[in-house]
Amino acid sequence: MTFYHFLSFERTICNGAFTSELPADTVRRIAAELKCHPTDERVALHLDKEDKLRHFREYFISPKMRDLPPIDLSLVNKDENAIYFLGNSLGLQPKMVKSYIEEELDKWAKMGGYGHDVGKRPWIIGDEIIVGLMKDIVGANEKEIALMNALTVNLHLLLLSFFKPTPKRHKILLEAKAFPSDHYAIESQLQLHGLNVEESMRMIKNLRIEDILEKEGDSIAVILFSGLHFYTGTKVCILSPPTSLDHHGCFVGFDLAHAVGNVELHLHDWGVDFACWCSYKYLNAGAGGIAGAFIHEKHTHKIKPTLVGWFGHELSTRFKMDNSKCIQFYLKCTLKMSLRILKIRNDISRATMKALRRKSILLTGYLEYLIKHYYSKDKADTKKPMVNIITPSRIEDRGCQLTLTFSVSKKDVFQELEKRGVV
Amino acid sequence: VMEPSPLELPADTVRRITAELKCHPTDERVALHLDKEDKLRHFREYFYIPKMRDLPLIDLSLVNKDENAIYFLGNSLAKMGGYGHDVGKRPWIIGDEIIVGLMKDMVGAKEKEIALMNALTVNLHLLLSFFKAYAETLQLHGLNDADDKAKRGEETLRIEDILEVIEKEGDSIAVVLFSGLHFYTGQFFNIPAITKAGQAKGCFVGFDLAHAVGNVELHLHDWGVDFACWCSYKYLNAGAGGIAGAFIHEKHTHKIKPTLVGWFGHELSTRFKMDNKLQLIPGVSGFRISNPPILLVCSLQASLEIFKQATMKALRRKSILLTGYLEYPMKHYYSKDKADTKKPMVNIITPSHIEDRGCQLTLTFSVSKKDVFQELEKRGVVCDKQEPSGIRVAPVPLYNSFHDVYRFINLLTSVLDSIGTKN
Repeated sequence: MTFYHFLSFERTICNGAFTSELPADTVRRIAAELKCHPTDERVALHLDKEDKLRHFREYFISPKMRDLPPIDLSLVNKDENAIYFLGNSLGLQPKMVKSYIEEELDKWAKMGGYGHDVGKRPWIIGDEIIVGLMKDIVGANEKEIALMNALTVNLHLLLLSFFKPTPKRHKILLEAKAFPSDHYAIESQLQLHGLNVEESMRMIKNLRIEDILEKEGDSIAVILFSGLHFYTGTKVCILSPPTSLDHHGCFVGFDLAHAVGNVELHLHDWGVDFACWCSYKYLNAGAGGIAGAFIHEKHTHKIKPTLVGWFGHELSTRFKMDNSKCIQFYLKCTLKMSLRILKIRNDISRATMKALRRKSILLTGYLEYLIKHYYSKDKADTKKPMVNIITPSRIEDRGCQLTLTFSVSKKDVFQELEKRGVV
Repeated sequence: VMEPSPLELPADTVRRITAELKCHPTDERVALHLDKEDKLRHFREYFYIPKMRDLPLIDLSLVNKDENAIYFLGNSLAKMGGYGHDVGKRPWIIGDEIIVGLMKDMVGAKEKEIALMNALTVNLHLLLSFFKAYAETLQLHGLNDADDKAKRGEETLRIEDILEVIEKEGDSIAVVLFSGLHFYTGQFFNIPAITKAGQAKGCFVGFDLAHAVGNVELHLHDWGVDFACWCSYKYLNAGAGGIAGAFIHEKHTHKIKPTLVGWFGHELSTRFKMDNKLQLIPGVSGFRISNPPILLVCSLQASLEIFKQATMKALRRKSILLTGYLEYPMKHYYSKDKADTKKPMVNIITPSHIEDRGCQLTLTFSVSKKDVFQELEKRGVVCDKQEPSGIRVAPVPLYNSFHDVYRFINLLTSVLDSIGTKN
């Protein structure tokens, strides 16, 4: 899948080269110390023992085998924890969610509309209260972040302001196999401006981005990529564009759905123009949880929202109801319950993205080690089933997810895994 | 028989009951009788009513702390009580679709004309965007009625004036956008008349139903309304920032397409194929952009189930009597015509015709509104101040009782008297 290696901006300075001990070496070292085979259970137990973050597991509610719909109880111990590897799609529930929600429900019951102004989380500023917890997760200032709506809604709001095509500069550059919602969003934005999708929707497949920019940079208005690809798990190298891009006047934005809470982000320092994300994957905020948006502070006085609503109005005069103009991107009251949940995940950012990423590298590396040990193409005899990992092998090029393909029926593999409590 | 015939105005009901009971119209026995005969009074138990002691601004020396507050703020944020039964699974993917059926009778539309998503103003923007223009560039002709109103000393709009503007300028109007019920005055606009007039001139006609839905009976489909949107945290009791709604008439199913598209507008059966070939759901469901916030679906569902049991028809019937009972003493003892010049006066700026209002009354005073409001708050009345000069009281048929109104009037009169004496 070479077409995902397109973003090769000076790779050595991208996200910092990985210089610590590679996971495979860690596994081998421990096996040597324990005088056992690398695939021995003792290696896993040792890794867990040494894991400084293992206590955070207790902050989440883990599904049990017996509660999984497709489980085959004859194959498992029903009281054991499921093997939940689906955080890339829906994160597990933090234990504090219930009590945070109950706090707001109690306040609602106790005092109704007064809840807007009083309590731990006055509803009128509910979202602003937890914005600070997002700072370190995305690497931005508080005023560069808004928590609101849903991901693709936010993407549209951002594109409506950043994508202002001219006859000359009319293209949006994106990945060939972008997530459907991004694809449809871009398609509809182009159509909104009366542009021809064939000409203006520029999808990268097998070329390097530098080559495309070289040839077509002048006609590109916006570059929109995912931060980490939903299918392959490839981490896109997010860097401030080369100066030639700045000169060209192109905006660069990212859909961070699979990146936020997974890999370290420094949106401000990288000079990213805009970004958006959802919160129900690695941020564990629950299905349809409140989403996020980022606009770099360099645009504070230049970029204005195209669609305005009352929550973009300065708080101090918002309720004067005199219909004056607003200056931010908030469109409506916040979704208070979803926010409560987001707060919990962010509390856990006490763990720090740095430390989580360090463990993630080892965790995924250990997973990869075992798979490669048993099932890679070179090792297996031709009769044995093979597993191919299509996610890049370089640590800098991926997050926690590995995407596997099989020489046997993927459907069968999946079904059998489900029956055994792998989610 | 308490139930008023269709022709009996609330004032006449009050007078009839006082004649039967042989007491004064302002006697508590009238309120108790009205509550006793109220077929809907048991719905109050479905909601959490704040207690006096929990209100932030209460003056405990003035109240019995264990008594229920007088909660007339349902127009802004309501609360809800226990919802009895287990509703079973709500697959998150179709979380919103599961409860759309419960909205049918609330707005008078078919299921496929309704979508539950986002927030009100977000939905308004999505609906307006099908003109392929941004809100800032659309020429929306507002009724420049400041001059007219000043001339007539009115605060509300006359339907004749509205229709006149549409008649005169309709050819240059693309969209007529009105609130269904005005947030400040409480005026309920003649939706079918405005719709008909606007469409006769070739305009699209839409309504912001924030203060109408759950308050008055709506028949969006039969009235031929083109589009509408609403929030759910007022009379729909779904909690601060609850999931909002949108309506597009089925006559537009194949003509109007969303301008801003996301993956949840894609047909469910192929949505997860991820082949980036859009299969748009016809009608308003195609306007959905992202996956639904399931926790917000839950709170709305709980409330809508109560509405289903009660029915809008019955609720409206009680509401007319409840608000009429509220209006009666103010009109008869504290209004301009009746009061002597030294007594504080209350002016009700909400129209007096039942067809022209919902449950809310907006009151202005000849004394300091701020003082009145503060004194009411200290005594456990929960209502709101609305700039420039109004206090809004909205007794809601689902959980407010006639005795609540009785207590409010008593408190109001004693507050006004004490302020009047002070001055």
